[in-house]
Amino acid sequence: MLFGRNKKNPIKIADKGVVEWKYTTCGYCSTGCSIEVGLDDKGEAVASRGVGGADVNRGKLCLKGIFEHELFRSAGRGKTPLIRERRFDEFQETNWDTALDKVSGEITRIQEKYGRDSFAIVSTGQIMTEEFYTLGKLARGVIGTNNYDGNTTLCMSSAVSGYKRSFGSDGPPGCYEDFEHTDCLLAMGSNLPEQHPVIFWRLKEALEKRKFPVIVVDPRVTMLAQMADMHLAITPGTDVVLLNALAYVILDEGLEDRAYIDANTNGAKEFEELVAQYDPVTASRICGIDEDTIRNVARIYAKAGSAMTIWTMGINQSTHGSDGVVGINNLNLITGNIGKPGGTSLSITGQCNAMGTREWSSCSGLPGYRALEKPQDRKDIAEFWGVDEDFFPEKRGLFMTDIFPAIETGQIKGLWVIATNPMTSMTNTARIRKTLEKLDFLVVQDAYADVETNEYSHVYLPAAVWAEKEGCFTNTERRVNLISNVIEPFEDSKPDLWIFNEMAKRFEQGRKVKFPETASGVFDELRTLSKGRMLDYSGMSHEKIEAQRGIQWPCSDGDETGTQRLYTDGKFQYADGKAKLIPLPFIDNNEKPDEKYPFWLNSGRVVEHFHTRTRTGKVGNLNKFSPTPYMEMNPDAAKALGITHGGYARLTSRRGDAIVMVQLTQRVAPNAVFIPFHFHECVNRISLGLLDPHSRQPAFKQAAVKIEAANDQQVAAQTNAVSRTY
Amino acid sequence: MLDKTTSKKYFLRDDEQEYAFLSDANAPKKNRYGNSIELIEETNKLAGKSLNINGDSSVSANPDRYKQHGFYFNADNCISCHACESACSEKNDLPPHLAYRAVGYVEGGSYPSYTRLNISMACNHCDDPVCLKGCPTRAYTKFAEYGAVLQDPDICFGCGYCTWVCPYNAPQLDMTKGHVHKCNMCVDRLEQGLKPACTSACLAGALDFGVTETTPENRQQLKTQIPGFPTPEITKPNIRFQQTNSLPNEMKRTDSVPLKYRRDGTAGEFEAELDTSKADTNKYWNLKKLLSSHENAHIIFTLTSQSVIGAFMLLMFGADIGLASLTNSFVNSFIPVMATLLIIFSIGMVKLNLHLGKPQRFYRGFNNWRLSPLSREIAGVTLFFMGFAGFALFAGLSQYGLFTTVELFSFNVLNVVTTISAAIAVLGGVVGLYYMIKLYLIPARPYWNHWQTATSFISTALVFGAVSIAVISSIATATLDSSLVSQTALVALAGLVLEGIGLLAHARDLKKHKGEGAVSHFEQTTRYGKSYWLRNGLLLINMIALAVIAVLGLNGLSGVLIGLVLFSSLVVSAVISRALFYVLVIPTTMPGAFFWRNKGFQEHARETGLAEMQQVGVLPGHH
Repeated sequence: MLFGRNKKNPIKIADKGVVEWKYTTCGYCSTGCSIEVGLDDKGEAVASRGVGGADVNRGKLCLKGIFEHELFRSAGRGKTPLIRERRFDEFQETNWDTALDKVSGEITRIQEKYGRDSFAIVSTGQIMTEEFYTLGKLARGVIGTNNYDGNTTLCMSSAVSGYKRSFGSDGPPGCYEDFEHTDCLLAMGSNLPEQHPVIFWRLKEALEKRKFPVIVVDPRVTMLAQMADMHLAITPGTDVVLLNALAYVILDEGLEDRAYIDANTNGAKEFEELVAQYDPVTASRICGIDEDTIRNVARIYAKAGSAMTIWTMGINQSTHGSDGVVGINNLNLITGNIGKPGGTSLSITGQCNAMGTREWSSCSGLPGYRALEKPQDRKDIAEFWGVDEDFFPEKRGLFMTDIFPAIETGQIKGLWVIATNPMTSMTNTARIRKTLEKLDFLVVQDAYADVETNEYSHVYLPAAVWAEKEGCFTNTERRVNLISNVIEPFEDSKPDLWIFNEMAKRFEQGRKVKFPETASGVFDELRTLSKGRMLDYSGMSHEKIEAQRGIQWPCSDGDETGTQRLYTDGKFQYADGKAKLIPLPFIDNNEKPDEKYPFWLNSGRVVEHFHTRTRTGKVGNLNKFSPTPYMEMNPDAAKALGITHGGYARLTSRRGDAIVMVQLTQRVAPNAVFIPFHFHECVNRISLGLLDPHSRQPAFKQAAVKIEAANDQQVAAQTNAVSRTY
Repeated sequence: MLDKTTSKKYFLRDDEQEYAFLSDANAPKKNRYGNSIELIEETNKLAGKSLNINGDSSVSANPDRYKQHGFYFNADNCISCHACESACSEKNDLPPHLAYRAVGYVEGGSYPSYTRLNISMACNHCDDPVCLKGCPTRAYTKFAEYGAVLQDPDICFGCGYCTWVCPYNAPQLDMTKGHVHKCNMCVDRLEQGLKPACTSACLAGALDFGVTETTPENRQQLKTQIPGFPTPEITKPNIRFQQTNSLPNEMKRTDSVPLKYRRDGTAGEFEAELDTSKADTNKYWNLKKLLSSHENAHIIFTLTSQSVIGAFMLLMFGADIGLASLTNSFVNSFIPVMATLLIIFSIGMVKLNLHLGKPQRFYRGFNNWRLSPLSREIAGVTLFFMGFAGFALFAGLSQYGLFTTVELFSFNVLNVVTTISAAIAVLGGVVGLYYMIKLYLIPARPYWNHWQTATSFISTALVFGAVSIAVISSIATATLDSSLVSQTALVALAGLVLEGIGLLAHARDLKKHKGEGAVSHFEQTTRYGKSYWLRNGLLLINMIALAVIAVLGLNGLSGVLIGLVLFSSLVVSAVISRALFYVLVIPTTMPGAFFWRNKGFQEHARETGLAEMQQVGVLPGHH
């Protein structure tokens, strides 16, 4: 039986020589996995592994986390501040003092000349909570611009808006453990295997123990759709209609939890009147789901002991994004599925600290879920920071997606972009280029000097990345987790907290306000400001967070640990403690396929990449799985157009054109195509992005395009190749 | 500062979770192939030995240490999240262009009733490891511990033959390092009672690992076949599958291999067949690709070695089979013919050796003579070279009348050593040629696994054996001997007819072949279609020309010119033919993904320059 040599050579297996493991939290998506980075005897980060005892990931990581140690020294990192007079000059290397003086000088100059709000700040979901809070203090309390927002407007803004409208406050009420209790899972526009593989694993583990129905609503046959018990291949942009129809059946058949509705909600009457217009037959003609299926889903959901809905960008990135979230909340309120084990509305968040910015950055208001619109909140924060109450505006300013049009038309002259890449991430690339050209002054603060937006900047500030710093992230289930400092920042890059603090010192008001030097110093302010509020941090400390591998807020002073679910007592954040049932009329305003542009254009994420690939595009063992953009297209549709598998197609829309490699697959409908959003100069050259009226989130996922085979395949291949600088 | 010994098992965690531990196995005594799962008795001298992993001399107390282990893949569950392959690459510190484990997929159905079947595949640590048998250097060992088939890159000389014979694409030839490496079953983790890194990283309940023929908890099946997986008969792989979800009757690949998997009705297994729906059906020359492949060294080596062996055999035995003028020409122009043939042969040998990843380790080529046809071929060819060179030397001496009178025990020494050399060369030539044919008869490479390989190689020996003698001798003597011309033409004609018959049968059988063979034939008639027909045309014209010459002979200046044209035509035809032989082989590997493990994309990345970025995961060019 046995072959080979009798006298065997010793076996050699790769040994990275790890001598120390350091605890931290993954910096990609918002699953919030605890991760340990291994350092070798030279202090270099050489390995990553999941933390076994962490409740979120229980030792597992997705591929991005598995290679996360490689990003510290990956290509394209910024080494030193860069400066230039005009955006078309060559960058000159400079020191931090010169760069920061230039930025603060330009902010002052622009504000003095054009008014305080003519300088805008666009931030991110990527930096630590302590940094968000500090930036908020700087933006609201020192610089004093009301045009300050984050890129979370591109991803979670609709969830925030929907939660606020339904429950009176932001804050996802559920947790991953709900999978262990639920009797029915509805996933709308959420593709866990691709976007949140570790959350998918938690779901899969729950299903291995106890089978429950999984219903997936998605226009594409994703892996989640494929493994679901029911897949509803919905017409893009019509989720609200489906949700209204589900409510119709539940109310029509008396399957609702009337006691819960009566005790805990307002607005039932108006809601029921509106829903009455969406009988399954009418709805089926709009949303493309047949009436029997609608009835079946409604009955399964309503009759389940507990039922939960998860969603991601399929709901949020739509002209009815906020309404979609409200619709999900409506469904759960009428079935009594909020705040109970296995019954919840759980938005599956995108960025590692999108939650942190929602809670503490002051983008949409003031820290700790406070609102500019509330005089008491303004007063409290003004006192705490030591600034004049009247310095705060009485209403929030522009959203990120409104800031860019305001630059286009000249109301905003200067912009500070922090850890985000609108050149690639926002719709209509040509328009964004034209917009950025118009700025008097653009400062880009990012870990990567090759971030595409830097093409238009006057000053570039190199930031430290992920665990080169320390602080906290909040994940999808409100778990605050710790990123401890693993290695020193690359070259002369600096933690964002240091940059904000140094910037503050350059303003007269900034020298009066207290800016703690350390993340834990800032964290103390969060504890004080959150005490007694819904997002209570007062019982947490960095040490306690690490020991428990993350703590879910609220965690009040004296509490042993955090809280798994919100609203368990049926008390909501509206003044009267009741949630709102909100009627959702459907207005069909999408750009839909027509004779000229006959295909739906959908975009989304792939598992190996994150956002605009500034990180994952440089890690070969991730990037190799999709090193260049591609388009999923139905082979039947392609055949008629002479488009071949692996060839290039040219797409045109009312915005412009794009060249992309074609992958033929029956995963997409004959009249629809899908393109990953991660790549520069690709899908966002042609996307539309109509804005949601409540959340101002763009409808990335609905636009109409025309498709033809690229005339000259070799030219097309070159056109694509030159856009791949990483 | 810290105890560095901890680094030896850096993968161990204090808070390791249940899923990562090997579970107790209740395995049957024998596996489905009839082999014992218990690989050795406890009393065996191989038992109780340390694996000496990275200098650790401890012996694991794992109770199943001497049982055959293997992967379990639940195809119902895989979501293609790449966690397994990434955990593997992270643990083994692999560069982007390599992977011990890869996830590909097949898909079928029509929107929205579409099904994608993802397949994660690494080494199957087979009962019948063809890699181990094929490897000429004995770099492979099948261990009594876990039945792991491990390969030692420090022994390997980078010939890549294991990558030819493995049906699953498990051994990875690393062009940047010049050696092969592969899945090591994470034996270091097994020794600690932990499942391999890939399995522990799985996020979908798809990948599992344990003693073979045991069904993991919550799983129902122990299959050895799913669509896309080659027949287990070749190697008796230690992988078991679950695949219970209904599949469409036709599953297609997304990579550039025009194959699909079909089953008739709902009961049977899927079988591979040609899929031209996504393929380009136009005919091309593709000469550049044809003549610049990694296998050029093989083209040169096989053509030259077969020609020289053929020439030598004609010298030795020509007179016995009525081809005296060939033998005579050889003898008459001994020095030029011998010198030229030696040079030609050496060029082929050097070319082949330099194509190794580690040419300095060439001497290891014989190590596995007990099992490897490649070792035997190398031994045969080397023997031939030695005998041939010896013969050239000794026979050359006697031609010049040197040392012709030396005697020992009343034997003429020069005659004796000349005869011995000739005998060695004949033996080496026969053995070398036989195993040169044999080594290409690989079940995982249907295009080669046909008797046409034999007719082609023998044809080369006949055609160029005869022609090279005639050409060199004619040049050396500056004459065109009419009987030499006609005998040469006859031998060459016989060779071409042999090749022609082989090719006709090959094409016929490939068309009938369901899977990769049919794909090879499809590519032969499309992608390389024009080159293929040029070769066929030349073959026919050459046959006619040789028949005419055999009758009419070649005379005067026009004869010389016609001879030169024909010679060139023979060479062109042979080179195209042999290049097609290498470039058209489609191995029975696992389905790839759209980018990763897709040959079509790799070529595209090289052509467009995308491959210049290392993070694209495609090496820019071959060595």
